[in-house]
Amino acid sequence: MLLPGLVEALRLLASGDENTWSITALTLRVSLTATAIALVLGVPTGAAVALTRFPGRRVLLAGANTGMGLPPVVIGLFVTVLLWRSGPLGAFGLLYTPIAMIVAQAVIATPVVTALVAAAVQQVDPDFRAQMQAIGATRARALLALLGEARLPLLAAAMAAFGAVVSEVGAAQMVGGNLAGQTRVLTTAAVLATSRGQFALAIAFGLILLGIAFLVNLVLTLAQQR
Amino acid sequence: MIGCRDLRVHAGGRELLHVPELDVPAGSVLAVLGPNGAGKTTLLRALGLLGPHRITGDVLLDGHPATRAHLRIAAAAVLQRPILRRGTVAANVAGGLRFRGAPRAAARERAAPWLDRLGIAHLADRDARTLSGGEAQRTCLARALALDPRVLLLDEPFTGLDTTTRADLVADLAAALAGRPTATVLVTHDPEEAAALADDVAVLVAGQVRRHGPTSDVFDDPRDLGTARLLGFTNVVGTRAARPEHTRLGAAREFAVAGRLRRILTLGSAVRLDVDTCDGPLTCLYPDRDTLDAVPDIGAEVSVVLDRHKIVTAAPPVDRPARPPRARGRGEGRYSGVFGPPMR
Repeated sequence: MLLPGLVEALRLLASGDENTWSITALTLRVSLTATAIALVLGVPTGAAVALTRFPGRRVLLAGANTGMGLPPVVIGLFVTVLLWRSGPLGAFGLLYTPIAMIVAQAVIATPVVTALVAAAVQQVDPDFRAQMQAIGATRARALLALLGEARLPLLAAAMAAFGAVVSEVGAAQMVGGNLAGQTRVLTTAAVLATSRGQFALAIAFGLILLGIAFLVNLVLTLAQQR
Repeated sequence: MIGCRDLRVHAGGRELLHVPELDVPAGSVLAVLGPNGAGKTTLLRALGLLGPHRITGDVLLDGHPATRAHLRIAAAAVLQRPILRRGTVAANVAGGLRFRGAPRAAARERAAPWLDRLGIAHLADRDARTLSGGEAQRTCLARALALDPRVLLLDEPFTGLDTTTRADLVADLAAALAGRPTATVLVTHDPEEAAALADDVAVLVAGQVRRHGPTSDVFDDPRDLGTARLLGFTNVVGTRAARPEHTRLGAAREFAVAGRLRRILTLGSAVRLDVDTCDGPLTCLYPDRDTLDAVPDIGAEVSVVLDRHKIVTAAPPVDRPARPPRARGRGEGRYSGVFGPPMR
């Protein structure tokens, strides 16, 4: 059954099937945007947790570590409740839109980035910033040098975050609703195809998903091992 | 020059350090000696305003209170562990110049002579993470010296190096600093490093400067036994102290100390004898084995003689403030109190 799936996937991509391409494009748009938001929020938070001392710091780190293993379904549920028409943010009418999916996936990925960045930064010598400042770096330059020093695990954090969101199905299904042409992504499309018994199509979506995950990680790995 | 007035460092509600006044003129080296935990590193970092603790009082640069921005331009520090960035040795040595805004090519050009002077030119293209401890330490020193700083702060830069590497590096650093207008503060626990490099010595104990003066004065007259021990006069009998290499086994006579030989250690061509006496353990170090007539058996009754010409006399360590030194000419009466009554 795998071989027909592979053939079907190649046929779908080669024939330029508009439906498949739009699902793939939406998957990339949602997951990459969510990963970018998670990086913007998670890198400074993780760095702050690693480098500074403030009340609640360890609780925050424990929260981030817990968040790494949080089931996407639970996050999907919370985001759905928040965005529900009668919910606190219902007035914005965001439920069942790609924005809702980006929000949910960013919530999934941010703890991953925060926890991994905190661990990455803590691995660098605690005197690193002081030594950089001691040879003329400003505080900001010293911090940038520190992040540069930790760039291997930082890029690993980006990969883990992207991997977590591109592969999740629960939150995308709940807050996106798997609406054809609007919020259908590769994972929810694969689930639907499987439930309809269209295994070849489901395998095709699965293979495309694997291909995307590999390509994104290949780019990040090449950047990391430069 | 660098200095400080009423410098205090606090951490966790505790005062770690208080130095009322300290000055290091341009072109001179101050060695800060002290036991572990005395606050040497804290003082060095406070002089560079390098945190992480709360600092009050003034750090003076050329007599004026300095800010972190002033020191960022004027000072360079080498911290205890060699901390290098990813990249080549050459890029690391140029790193400080890059931080100060030099273009890449210019920074490399200005750094290149320092690779030569610190003997790491052949490592220029090596990945800094593959260096040995001594090589990494040389790279850190070259990186700081390449900045041509007015103030150089060195925190035990020779720790953890083998004897030969250390001697080489001390010599290279002395040569690099000679004739430059750099004010250098060298934190160390090794009196030999201080003697080799420093014009002045400050002895720091429990966050306070207990003794400060020209190196020769401090070494000749440590004044208290705590300071004497730090300076290598580890054999203490009453108020007299001597170095192990100036302590010998001798015939029982006046001023000799009776004891029992506990251990004999052969250290290359040198021999070290540990003797337990009623004044505590004493160590005799014979740099050349042949100068030791006959090695007694372990457990033998022996008598130990401190070389009366190499002895210093010092008061027992006290917590009360030191009295002002007795006025006397340099050299005069240096050993006069040895066999006389205690100085106080």
